[in-house]
Amino acid sequence: MFSTALTWSDLAFLAQGAGMTLAVTAVSVAAGTVLGILFGIIRFQFGPYWSAPLTFALDIFRSVPLLIQLVLGNALQSIAKMGWPPFTTSCVVLSLYTAAYCTEIVRGGIDSVPVNTRRAARSLGMSWWQDMRYIVAPLAIRVSLPSWIGLTLGVMKDSALVLWLGLIELLRASQILVTRLQEPLFILLLCGAIYFVISLPIARFGRYLEERWSPND
Amino acid sequence: MKISVLAFGLMTATALSSQALADKLDDIIASGTLRCAVVLDFPPMGARDASNNPIGFDVDYCNDLAKALGVTAEIVETPFPERIPALMSGRVDVGVASTSDTLERAKTVGMTVPYFAFEMAVTANDKSGVKSFEDMKGKTVGATAGTFEAIALEKSVKEWGAGEFRPYQTQADVFLALSQGQIDATVSTSTVAQANVKTGKFPGISVVGKAPYDIDYVSLFTNREEYGLINYLNLFINQQVRTGRYAELYKKWVGGDLPSLSVNGVYR
Repeated sequence: MFSTALTWSDLAFLAQGAGMTLAVTAVSVAAGTVLGILFGIIRFQFGPYWSAPLTFALDIFRSVPLLIQLVLGNALQSIAKMGWPPFTTSCVVLSLYTAAYCTEIVRGGIDSVPVNTRRAARSLGMSWWQDMRYIVAPLAIRVSLPSWIGLTLGVMKDSALVLWLGLIELLRASQILVTRLQEPLFILLLCGAIYFVISLPIARFGRYLEERWSPND
Repeated sequence: MKISVLAFGLMTATALSSQALADKLDDIIASGTLRCAVVLDFPPMGARDASNNPIGFDVDYCNDLAKALGVTAEIVETPFPERIPALMSGRVDVGVASTSDTLERAKTVGMTVPYFAFEMAVTANDKSGVKSFEDMKGKTVGATAGTFEAIALEKSVKEWGAGEFRPYQTQADVFLALSQGQIDATVSTSTVAQANVKTGKFPGISVVGKAPYDIDYVSLFTNREEYGLINYLNLFINQQVRTGRYAELYKKWVGGDLPSLSVNGVYR
């Protein structure tokens, strides 16, 4: 019969790790989205020529592997003697990584709003801000939401790489248990199951919003 | 106006220079936390207990050091290859991680005097009559293939010209063979020998003495330019031995004969 040395306190330890994964993801996605919206608007508004430096910088974050970004980010903060704890470093790097992808999503969303619709808004006397807030935002969010949910789920799984900086998140917690209990298959299955359990509500919530916001499609 | 600008400039300069003068020892005391790099998959030096809290010789040693400094200890788990990078990237203040004091490493980090020594110990089957390293001559001996001690032991057997050497795949196999009487004695690191004898999984064996092979001395380490801290650490290690705390921790985690931390005939 199946037996395991895993105890309830080990499960609590895994749950703590999952909590860390969620915390890193929440901070990074929140900060990354805010930055992404800002950069996305800048890229759309200033055109490809003037926003070229920004595009280049964001391309770096999109094309260099996340692990290398984390290690370099950590080295950079230590050289600059900023004294950041691993959590801050991880969140900063992950936020920039998220922002780089989010910028493209936002830019694509704004692009998808028909120019004629926006011209109509402006000719009704709406200001740029009003146009953005009442015309572009509702239409663009509908288009962008699925990719944004995909990005969030991706960042949650990519956040496992922060274990490299010594943060004990879900994957690291499972590794510690594997070292102690020598039951890799069972513990990693459990770890995968926990990732699934925390991802599913986000995916479902995204689906729900999508359906609610586009009743006539 | 001019004077106040000058005064401000002076104040800034003083603030900056005093910050530059504060060394790592001051920083640790000021921050109230000592962050130690410890390897936690290396029992009995570092491991995790049933509730996944760090335990072991190195963990206790770090706690003692923090107590001496009057700060709280923070154990930062680092795998073996991550010990020095963790220090270089500023994630830890001191390495208490069973680190051999090689000259190669000393080019990167500052090593203290040894705080622990891994000696090679002879473990024998109680029925074999082996009571010391010399008694192994002419007996059937074995060790884990490819390890430092196996190579040294095989060489010894060849020099004696009597007896037989048998290599085994894992350390557990060696102790099983020893317990079953397939071999009379083995040589392994003292911590490993004591840990295996203690488990009770291998009845009829005991650690009988030391083997005259190279001793693996391990040191604490920190940034190599932090002489103030290295001085403090050296004195701390000296005090640990002097006060008997080293012997106490050795008895608690390893057991058996206390290894000497000094090398005969040379300073440091």
